[in-house]
Parts: sequence; C-alpha cells; structure tokens
Amino acid sequence: MSRLRGLTVPLVWLGLLLAACVGMDQLEPVFRWLEPSSRSVIYARADFLSLLGKHVLVVSVAGALSIIIGVGASIAVTRQWGRDFLPLVAQVAAIGQTFPPVAVLALAVPVLGFGTLPVIVALLLYGLLPIVRNTLAGLQGVSADVREAARGMGMRPHQRLWRVEMPLAASVIVAGIRTSVTISIATAAIGATMGASNLGDPIISGIVNGNTAHVLQGALLIALLALCVDSLFAWLQSGRSGL
Amino acid sequence: MIELKNLSRQFGEMWAVRDLNLTINKGEFCVLVGTSGCGKSTTLRMINRLIEHSAGEIHIDGQPVRGFREDLLRRRIGYVIQHVGLFPHWTVARNIGLVPRLLGWEPERIAARVDELMALLGMSAERFSGKYPRQLSGGQAQRVGVARALAADPEILLMDEPFGALDPLTRDGLQEELLSLHHRLNKTIVFVTHDMDEALRLADRLVVMHEGQIRQQGRPIELLREPVDEFVESLLGGNSRGLKEAALTPVAQRLCHAEMTSGVPDIDANKTLRDALSLMLWHRVDCLNVVEGSESLGTLRLADVVTARAPMGTTRGLSS
Ligand SMILES: Nc1ncnc2c1ncn2[C@@H]1O[C@H](COP(=O)(O)OP(=O)(O)OP(=O)(O)O)[C@@H](O)[C@H]1O
Ligand SMILES: [Mg+2]
Repeated sequence: MSRLRGLTVPLVWLGLLLAACVGMDQLEPVFRWLEPSSRSVIYARADFLSLLGKHVLVVSVAGALSIIIGVGASIAVTRQWGRDFLPLVAQVAAIGQTFPPVAVLALAVPVLGFGTLPVIVALLLYGLLPIVRNTLAGLQGVSADVREAARGMGMRPHQRLWRVEMPLAASVIVAGIRTSVTISIATAAIGATMGASNLGDPIISGIVNGNTAHVLQGALLIALLALCVDSLFAWLQSGRSGL
Repeated sequence: MIELKNLSRQFGEMWAVRDLNLTINKGEFCVLVGTSGCGKSTTLRMINRLIEHSAGEIHIDGQPVRGFREDLLRRRIGYVIQHVGLFPHWTVARNIGLVPRLLGWEPERIAARVDELMALLGMSAERFSGKYPRQLSGGQAQRVGVARALAADPEILLMDEPFGALDPLTRDGLQEELLSLHHRLNKTIVFVTHDMDEALRLADRLVVMHEGQIRQQGRPIELLREPVDEFVESLLGGNSRGLKEAALTPVAQRLCHAEMTSGVPDIDANKTLRDALSLMLWHRVDCLNVVEGSESLGTLRLADVVTARAPMGTTRGLSS
C-alpha cells in the first residue's frame, strides 16, 4: 500500500497539468495584467489538451524507440560476441552528450525536412545517449564475483542477463531513461519551430509576436508535464532503492 | 573421479597451467596449495569449464568435460567462489535455491531443500532465509555460498579459498563443519587455500603447485615428512613442520600407559599432540591425563609425544 501512496505526487502534478490545460481561461486576469495591450492573452490557435497530447505522443514515441535501441545496443556490446564494438559505442555516447540538443534538432531539418518526423528522430538520437551511457555503466557495474557465480552455477547467457545483470543494473538504467525523457520533454518544444505542433507552439508564437503571456502558458504546461513525468520516475526508482 | 591429463592452459605467451596430471578419487578431499599465481584457480575453473583448457584432457567419471553442455556440467558441480558472489537482489533462500530452480525442481522440494541446507550449516532458516546478502556477516555469507554450492546435491564440490578473510574462530568452525559434511555426504572436494594449517587439516590428498605444475602430491603427513625439495619443504612450514605434524596426530594414537596419574590436567583423546604439547608447556608438566568424556583412559607423557615411532619412516628430518 505504501508503494502506491508514492504515486500521490505524480498524480497531483498530473491533476495540475490537466487543470491548467482545461482551465487556462480562468487565469486570464493574471495574463491580462502581464500583457495589458495584447488582443489575445490566452493562446487560442489550438486547444491546449490536443497540444499536450501531441507533445506526449512525440516524446513517448521517441522515448520508447530510444529505450529499445539504447538498451538493446548496450546489451549487445556487453555480450561476448559484441565486445568489439563496446569502445566505439561508449565513446559515441560520451561525445554525443556534449552536443547541445538544439544543435541536434537544427541538424535534423536539412536531412529530414520539416514536420513531426525530424523532431522524433532528433529526440530519439539525443535521447539515446544518457540511456546508453547508463545502461553500460549499470551492466558493467555488476560485480565480477556475481558474474562468476552466475556462470559457475550453470545459468545460461539469457538467464544471466535477465535474472542477474538487468535487475542489478535496473536502477541505473531507469535513472538514464529519466534523464533522457526529461530532456526530451523540454527539447520537443523547440521542435515547434520545425513545424511539429506541440506545447512549444505557444512559446514560439509568443516569442515571434512579442506576447509574453503565450510564452508563459507554454512554459507552464511543459514544466508541469516535466514535473509529472519526473516524479513518476522518482517513484519507479524508489521501489528499487533498497538494493 | 576427476582425472586431469597433461592439462595445460596458456594466457597469451604465459602458461598458467602446464602439463598437469592429477587424479582425484571419488569421495576424496583434495587440497591445492602454492604461491600466488601458480595456477590453482585456473586449474579449478577448468574443471567446470569456466576456463577452457588449451591442451590435455579433463575426465569426470571417465567422460571428457568437453562432451557436456557447459551449463549442464556446471549445475552438476558445486562451486564456491572466493568472494562468495551471492546475488545481492535475491534473498538468502532464493540464492541457495538457485541451482535446483535451474534444474526445474518443484517449489516445495526447493523450499524443503533450502531449509535442510540451512540447518546443515547451522543457520536458522526462520531468521536468515528472508534476509538479503548485504544483511549478512562475512561468515554467514560464506555459509550461504557453501549451501548454494551444495543445493542440488552435486557429486563434486570445487571450493576456491572459501574461508578466506574470516576470523580464526569462524574459520575453524566452518572447517569443522566442512569435514563433517564431507564424512557424511562423501563428496569429492577440490579445495584451494593459502592457509597451510587449513590445507593439512582438511586434505586427504595435498597437492603442491608451483608455476603451473605439480611439485608434489600425497597425504599431508607424507609431504610433511618427505618433501621432494626445498620449495615444498618451506611452503609446508620449514622448521615448524614438527608442530604441524603434531597437529595432525590424535592423542589417542600415542597413548601407551593405561595407569592414571593424579593431579595433572586432563586432555580429551580426540585432541591432537599439538594441543597436548601446548597444555604441557602451559601447565609446566610433563604428563597429561587422557580422557574421553568423563572416562579416564590413561596417561600421556612428554616422552611419548616426542620419541614414539612416527607413523611414517623418518627419511628426511628437519633442517637445522
Ligand atoms: N583470464 C586471464 N587472463 C590472463 N591471465 C590470467 C587469467 N587468469 C589467470 N591468469 C594468470 O594465470 C596465472 C595463474 O592464475 P591463477 O588465478 O590460477 O592463480 P592462483 O594460483 O589461483 O593465485 P592466487 O593464489 O593468487 O589466487 C597468473 O599468473 C594469472 O596472472
Ligand atoms: Mg586463485
């Protein structure tokens, strides 16, 4: 039961997020005070809920692909047969991290054009890095004694991976996914400049039209989404902190 | 029976084990000793194929180990690794039950087996089975490591310095338990240690290795009395071999006076000559009353300890 009680915080953030999407109009006086001269103070070109939906969709698709590819590649290069590629993958993950996410997005446009696809690809690529780095660290962090014991007791390779290595690496891997997804939520907003419509829209159009209220509305929703997802991961990790 | 024939293993240019020949009979307690890096662990790990041999042959009960599938072979051989290597995310009970689970035993049978093993190793199942390895002391973890190796009732047990890094008392207790386990269960045990007293106490067959080869093998008392060269002699303790031999000889074996002596300390007939000597030195006496339980068996004199015919011919004395 106490495990479920940990879900309270993410649910509170989720509640606030949905309330903000639906009831942004109620905050009109506040935004009016910020932007007394503007014609529209509440961003109305699209419904916040549908922007939120698209934002979540893009981040989820990119995140899921990053997890599958990142975790999969890390597992592969830590197996006997994939060892040769370990230094390469580890290096790319380390160097890739030094790239700012915006640069990744900017580079995706000339290759993939405008729209949702380049945003997904850019988020996917950038999101891979923390996942690969942490999965490698987690798998390599399993002590040599434990590995030796797993082999010595007669576990098969897949049993060693799924029953020993992955459970022991899980908390580090989840931490990597948490970083990756949190960065993606923020970075996806910049995708609005590339024609993907999401919670970045109010921010971009606010900047273009000099409307601070719109910028704030987008930023508020993105922040709430990030807090909600991040606290969800915090809850996931707390379940394993006993190790 | 384990047979190693012309066994060799090369790492790069270096031979970790070279042309090693050793036969370990069923039910025998074989102890490998030697300086660090002489190839003891490598030899042990070639038996269950954690390391593949580069040349030579290993047969278990007449079958070459390469004929078995690796993981199936290992499930049949108990293995206790030096640093225990319990799975930190599993409870004690789950750790112990690992191999039976891999073998597909029924859950009830596994649970019963785990309880049985914990009782065997003197750990209360009620107190320990739900604990995680990080909640155990070093000695308790070592016991769990031994229990895990014994779980599927393997014929062969490989133990690589299983009692390293333990205090002498705990170590002594675990050696005692292992010996009685060996007597009761009649396993073939291959054991690696750096502690010569431990080796002499446990071994039926003592194997001295040096630079990947066997220098000498035989019963502990043979090696003590008749080392083939200076290396074996000094490894076995040089001038302290007298006391080491005394530690292997039970008091009962030298008891030749049935009459009682009053006013001297008692010694149990199961104790060793080393204990007897120590008692004599401590109490400044030259005879002891030998007892078994509450019954008195006779008198042990210092002269009996020192001069009685040694169990083996004394072809080579202490150097000095
Ligand atoms: N995987 C390996 N790769 C390269 N060299 C190795 C490997 N394993 C062992 N060796 C070398 O083989 C030699 C024998 O090693 P081994 O572990 O068998 O020694 P040991 O007798 O068990 O020593 P210790 O008593 O210190 O445990 C050593 O020189 C060691 O450096
Ligand atoms: Mg060793």
